[in-house]
Amino acid sequence: MASIGSSRICARVQEKLCQWGHSPIFKRHSPLIVRSKFGFHSLVKNVPETRNYSLNNVAAMASPVAGCVHPCIRPEIASTATSYSTMRTQQPGSLPEYQVDPYALLEDDLKDVYVYIREALKRNTYQKDLYEISTYYFDGHGKAIRPMVAILMARAINYHIYKEKSLLPSQREVAMISEMIHTASLVHDDVIDQSDFRRGKPSVNVMWNHKKVTMAGDFILAVASMMIARLRNNDVTLVLSQVVTDLVQGEFMQLGSKETENERFSHYLTKTYRKTASLIANSVKAVTMLAGADEQLSDISYQYGRNLGLAFQLVDDLLDFVSSSSQMGKPTAADLKLGLATAPVLFACEKFPELNPMIMRRFQEPGDVEKAFELVHKSRGLEQTQFLAKQHCQEAARLANLLQESPYQKGLIVAADYVLNRMK
Amino acid sequence: MSLSKLGLFYLSKNNLCSSSVAVRNYVDFQRRELSTSKVQFAKLAQEKKPDWNKAVTEAEKIVGYPTSFLSLRWLLSDEIANVALHLRKLVGSNHPLLKTAKEIIYNGKNNMQAWGLIVLLVSKAAGHSADTPDLEQDKAAGVLHSQRALAEVTEMIRTSHLVHKGLVNLQLQANVAEDLMFGNKIALLSGDYLLSNSCIELANLRNQEVVELMSSAVRDLAEAEFVGPRDKQNNALPARPRTDIVEYKQFTDKTLEPWVVSEALGDAVTEWTLRHVLNAGSLLGKSCQGTLKLAGHPVDLQEKGYLFGKHLALAWQACLDREPFLLDAKGSFSLVSAPVLFALQHDPNLYETIEKGFESVDDVDYDALKKVVLNGPGIEKTKDLQREHSKMALEMLNELPESDARNALANIIAAMQDL
Repeated sequence: MASIGSSRICARVQEKLCQWGHSPIFKRHSPLIVRSKFGFHSLVKNVPETRNYSLNNVAAMASPVAGCVHPCIRPEIASTATSYSTMRTQQPGSLPEYQVDPYALLEDDLKDVYVYIREALKRNTYQKDLYEISTYYFDGHGKAIRPMVAILMARAINYHIYKEKSLLPSQREVAMISEMIHTASLVHDDVIDQSDFRRGKPSVNVMWNHKKVTMAGDFILAVASMMIARLRNNDVTLVLSQVVTDLVQGEFMQLGSKETENERFSHYLTKTYRKTASLIANSVKAVTMLAGADEQLSDISYQYGRNLGLAFQLVDDLLDFVSSSSQMGKPTAADLKLGLATAPVLFACEKFPELNPMIMRRFQEPGDVEKAFELVHKSRGLEQTQFLAKQHCQEAARLANLLQESPYQKGLIVAADYVLNRMK
Repeated sequence: MSLSKLGLFYLSKNNLCSSSVAVRNYVDFQRRELSTSKVQFAKLAQEKKPDWNKAVTEAEKIVGYPTSFLSLRWLLSDEIANVALHLRKLVGSNHPLLKTAKEIIYNGKNNMQAWGLIVLLVSKAAGHSADTPDLEQDKAAGVLHSQRALAEVTEMIRTSHLVHKGLVNLQLQANVAEDLMFGNKIALLSGDYLLSNSCIELANLRNQEVVELMSSAVRDLAEAEFVGPRDKQNNALPARPRTDIVEYKQFTDKTLEPWVVSEALGDAVTEWTLRHVLNAGSLLGKSCQGTLKLAGHPVDLQEKGYLFGKHLALAWQACLDREPFLLDAKGSFSLVSAPVLFALQHDPNLYETIEKGFESVDDVDYDALKKVVLNGPGIEKTKDLQREHSKMALEMLNELPESDARNALANIIAAMQDL
């Protein structure tokens, strides 16, 4: 686990140092100095704008193709990763002090999440096959973004209310549950989409027969539900059960509908909320409720998670167009191949109306996928998607700033930034 | 599938009965006045042994809702309307989902609904405290609203499991037919939809012990699909019969713990019991236990509720297992049904016939196997099994005070016996 943790930090550092190629002017925002109400904290606010920009000149130069690729394609990390890390050691002070790395901050909390999940599943079956299928994705190679955000929020809220650096066992459980619900849906997604590859390994439906995989998904969900029930908190159970319903309804929305062009985007956003944001939003809400927060505070949490989740999915949809398979651990343009029109395509539609019939026929005809892919790159669809994601991240950061200053609260802001600038 | 056949069987049997009654009635009518013949008719009906349809219909009257209360609510939801639309595309594709759907829609009476019905009857038979607020009660049915919701959850979980079981394993086929793939997608999503609905319904009960209990029933259902050897379509095959006799200790019914599966395999009764506790007994038992919990009954009565549901489900299963071996029954049968397991225990060499089905259960010579089963002790032993579980279910029932609902449950058990 330790090695995984450190490689994650490495990856994060690389990402932090990557900058969009299309912003030609590098401004260095002078950090706002805000006096906290206690008078002794000088802290930095307004974070998404303040990052280490000075290295980007180098990044642009280091990447010889930077000028000819689409503006939204980020610099390849593979070729430049080493030089970035070196530069970091050379300029340790170039990252502002508040730039806490949430993964490093929560290393102790996160390192055992997968172990605990596997133990919870093991306690619930004596059958080898079932155990193997249901733990297949809990191998510690996931991004664990959901548990990370849930624990960050839990600690930030605990500090906000009680000025304590603490994490309740029940809050840790919610972090695990969020990852379990997510994985249960992944397992079922794999059967639905017939995907072959996920997280850099053969997906679960290639390894075992579909009926068993389906049942294993039900099993994970059942164990997660039992864990939810053991929290013995009626409201938390309601909040987390809503997630399951949202996930399924989101999946139904994805099956296809014949909405008009005007409705399409709101349909897409609703689907995105249900499939991705609801889980993050409701699990951070749950940890906040467990801390004994009032409704207003729970709502701040919820809105933070909702914005973060929407941004997360928008970036995911964007990466589907720009990343290479090796980075994502799954094939790219996968959404198009599945017949799904995501934000980049919907934005591209404004410039290239010829995409409309393709969307309607779910890119089924030969050449549709390639053509759509090309048009998206010719349009400003990727930039616009990025812009929308950024707005959500800024809103998330704004909400996080409403909480009492703490490393975890800062971590929430960095997490928003991480979601926006991640490479995979 | 066998359940629906059972339904048809009962249905035709019932028609026969009522027509014979009609004949006798007609004879009576020729002899007497009209008014007296009516009395006679009623008397005849009372004397007649309880039959299934009658038992169920009477029971439905006791708790109010005459038709499946579930199907309507489902059919009105957006998601299911969507599914219905997609199902049409599947017509002609032979996807098993169609069969499952047909059973749910056309044979609801004898299949799904009976489970919810039993939960409601148990709720009513046990009653609830007199000072329960009016708002929480369904006065007409004599149960709590929460208990009715739980009965719905029972049916949803069961249906979801059947739908998920109906997936086709497509990964072995190189050129997968588009519509089969689509069928799988729909089956998976419909099952998930029911499961997610049960999550919300359960959460709304605001009783975390019940949520935990019912979630563990979902876990047990999933576990059931992993027991013993499987063919490529995940159809169950019996485990190789054991020669040594090992006593299986874990029938303690600590209801939240998972079952130690491997130790139970190879012995006819133990293997059969384990399989069907997991895929049926657990859900019905835990639902009955849960409904008593919702009404605030003492823990020991709750546990008896669990045992009642479990034994009833097992008796039911034994009854279903016998059906393909009746005189005029045709076609294949489950290789893990009680008569087959007993036959295997009786003659372990029979396992060679079973082994032919390791690729696909369709490769087994069912006619030959059936002959062996019929000539062995399997059928009798299955009858014993059913009798035993019926008896235990009735014993548990006697813990409840005498009432219409209790009688209805006893009638259902008696009707099952009568097959």
